[in-house]
Amino acid sequence: MVHQHFSLVPELTVLENLCLGSGWRRFDRARERARMAATAERFAIDVPFDALVETLSVGERQKVEILRCLVQGPEIVVLDEPTAVLPPGEIDALLGLIRRMAETGKAILLVTHKLAEIERVADRITVLRRGRVTLQAAGREVGRKALASAIVGDAAAGIEMTAGRGSRRIVRRQSGVAVPPAALMLDGIVLLDRLGSRRVDNLTLIVAAGEIVGVAGVEGNGQSELALALSGLMPFAGGRYFVADTELTAATPAMVSAAGVGVIPEDRHALGCILGMAVDENIFLGALAEYRLGPFVNRKAMRQATGELIQRFDIRCEGPTAPFASLSGGNQQKVVLAREITLNTRRLLVAAQPTRGLDIGATRTTYGHIQSAARDGAGVLLVSSELDDLMAICDRIVVMYRGRIIGEQAAGAYDRAALGGLMAGHA
Amino acid sequence: MELARILRRASTSSAGAVLIALLAGLLLMAVLAPSLPNALAAFARGAFGTTYAVGASVNRAAVLALVGLGFILAFRANLTNIGGEGQLAMGGMVAAAVALKTDVAGLPFGLAIVLPALAGACAGGLWAGLAGWLRVRRGTNEVISTLLLSFIALWLVYWSVHSDALLRQPRTSATSLPESADIPNGAMIGMLVPPMHQGIVVVILLVALVHLTMTRTVWGMRLQAIGLNAASAKRAGLSIPRLTIGAMLASGALAGLAGAFMIQGEQYNLKAGFSSGYGIDGLVVGLLARGSAPTVLVFALLFGFLRSGGIGMEIGAGVPSAVVLTLQGLVILAVAGMEFLRLRQARSLP
Repeated sequence: MVHQHFSLVPELTVLENLCLGSGWRRFDRARERARMAATAERFAIDVPFDALVETLSVGERQKVEILRCLVQGPEIVVLDEPTAVLPPGEIDALLGLIRRMAETGKAILLVTHKLAEIERVADRITVLRRGRVTLQAAGREVGRKALASAIVGDAAAGIEMTAGRGSRRIVRRQSGVAVPPAALMLDGIVLLDRLGSRRVDNLTLIVAAGEIVGVAGVEGNGQSELALALSGLMPFAGGRYFVADTELTAATPAMVSAAGVGVIPEDRHALGCILGMAVDENIFLGALAEYRLGPFVNRKAMRQATGELIQRFDIRCEGPTAPFASLSGGNQQKVVLAREITLNTRRLLVAAQPTRGLDIGATRTTYGHIQSAARDGAGVLLVSSELDDLMAICDRIVVMYRGRIIGEQAAGAYDRAALGGLMAGHA
Repeated sequence: MELARILRRASTSSAGAVLIALLAGLLLMAVLAPSLPNALAAFARGAFGTTYAVGASVNRAAVLALVGLGFILAFRANLTNIGGEGQLAMGGMVAAAVALKTDVAGLPFGLAIVLPALAGACAGGLWAGLAGWLRVRRGTNEVISTLLLSFIALWLVYWSVHSDALLRQPRTSATSLPESADIPNGAMIGMLVPPMHQGIVVVILLVALVHLTMTRTVWGMRLQAIGLNAASAKRAGLSIPRLTIGAMLASGALAGLAGAFMIQGEQYNLKAGFSSGYGIDGLVVGLLARGSAPTVLVFALLFGFLRSGGIGMEIGAGVPSAVVLTLQGLVILAVAGMEFLRLRQARSLP
């Protein structure tokens, strides 16, 4: 098993990492080294045995991970997203290594989002969508289009099209006397992850006030990082970030909120809420300045305001002071939505996978609220891996691939096959 | 069967846990004491027998309560301040220094008492605040830093009473000990009922204040938020560095005030090692109270009276006062065990 996230000890050498967990006898450096070197040679893996892991590049670390797996002599090797962290050149080397491993008679299970890789190395393909197998075929027989459509799905998944939104706004913008500044302007932004690889690479994007722009793409192509950076939780390594006339490139989360940006985070348990606190506390934690009497929390006003939001957003809970953890997933999401839309969203709403884990009903109301935020004049950036949903509610869809926008389509001219192709990296 | 159920239920409440621990302690005494009735009588005399005994116990409890309050306040923000001992020592030392080396003693309106006490609180606060600052700037774990800062503080006190240039009393004879001179009368805290000093009133007010702060105030809610989920709190716009340092300052200030009270209310001069483990016992009190300020008061009183009783027992009945220390250990184990049972029961519920 080779995991997506590395499990190496950075402070130890490559050899020591390779030997971790293998036996309890005396550590015979020379013998272990010979054993490792033999395996490495067999698969033509070239790693510096005496270097500290922390000094290695991402690609080299990956090789160490794979070698560690191979020295145990497995029959089946599972690789989970092994290319997610690699730069293009290293991907080719890895795919070559995967073929070599297969040729020695090992079964390889490669979990990946990237169609090009599948095409190059896979003998058989299984597509999973929402936990179900949607395609099983021999590798070379499947065309890329068929693959893409099996991944994104063909039938609309129960989201009603709400016709005529886009056009109305465009008309308004054309007839408007003064063109308002764009709700969001990203100028060539660059985001690096902790290992230094480029997750978002020179991305430029403008979202007009009242416009809903969808960000499509296979997960792991920089969308998560984009949403984090827009909420002020990830530093920009390059480029500039404006909301209306305010520059937020180096802003803290508090400044982002103050500028009128609401964010529905992708990982709501880690970033969107505090499970151990009450519903009202979760909603107003960032706005306590307005709900205080001297040093004290104005609980009465807070409860009352929360009660109104519970009504308006149809949140099912025992009341404003119910523990947040007692709510169902859908209702927790509604609380986050209610907070971000009513308290923060004046200019821009960034929604990252807002309907993940929700049932059809909750999904529909969530999109309803997002649309009404746009009608009230906020720009909306909607990141989702559900292409159907994006096509149903967005005025425009951009496709992200390896940290860049590689294509764009406007409402009315959506072409599912073309979008699927873009998601697979074919401009 | 009925009895088993009652026992089970009792064992899952704090009071039950303490009761079980006390019974176990009784058993231990029965083994160790030459005569159990004598030992118990001596314990009772030491703890409640005289007004003096009660007063001394309450004074002890006050110190433990302040340190415990500091602990739960920082713990609200998920900061574990185990350096109460050092913060208390700093508080006592600075209070003594201000009382001895400045002219506060002559000041009117109780300032002679209040200023050294405040200085002590500030010193304790800064000592813990240092750990908070290290955590914010360098990511140093506050458990380690508060513990190590405690050792530094204890040796600073030692140094200050051994150095003539600092707080050591003038050497009038060959027998003058390495400790400070007595603080001026004006800086001594007055008595409610001797030896119970007026600081007790302040402690009770502070219990209420900390309780209100944690449950009702904006600051308290923010501390709770960063304690429960720092990432979400940060996303909501809270300043984690500011809140972290603030929580540590307040936590240390409470312990520092305890140190000042020990000097100004009971001991009247500074000796090396004057803090004698109160910071550690206070930490235990805070742990046992599990975040509730009123409960801190309860456990502080329990431990205060236990300590006095133990000393009485050692003098009066020849039972080593270490029995009381063992008893404290048993209380901790019982409460921790009860927590384990509670969790297991909660999990087995449908």
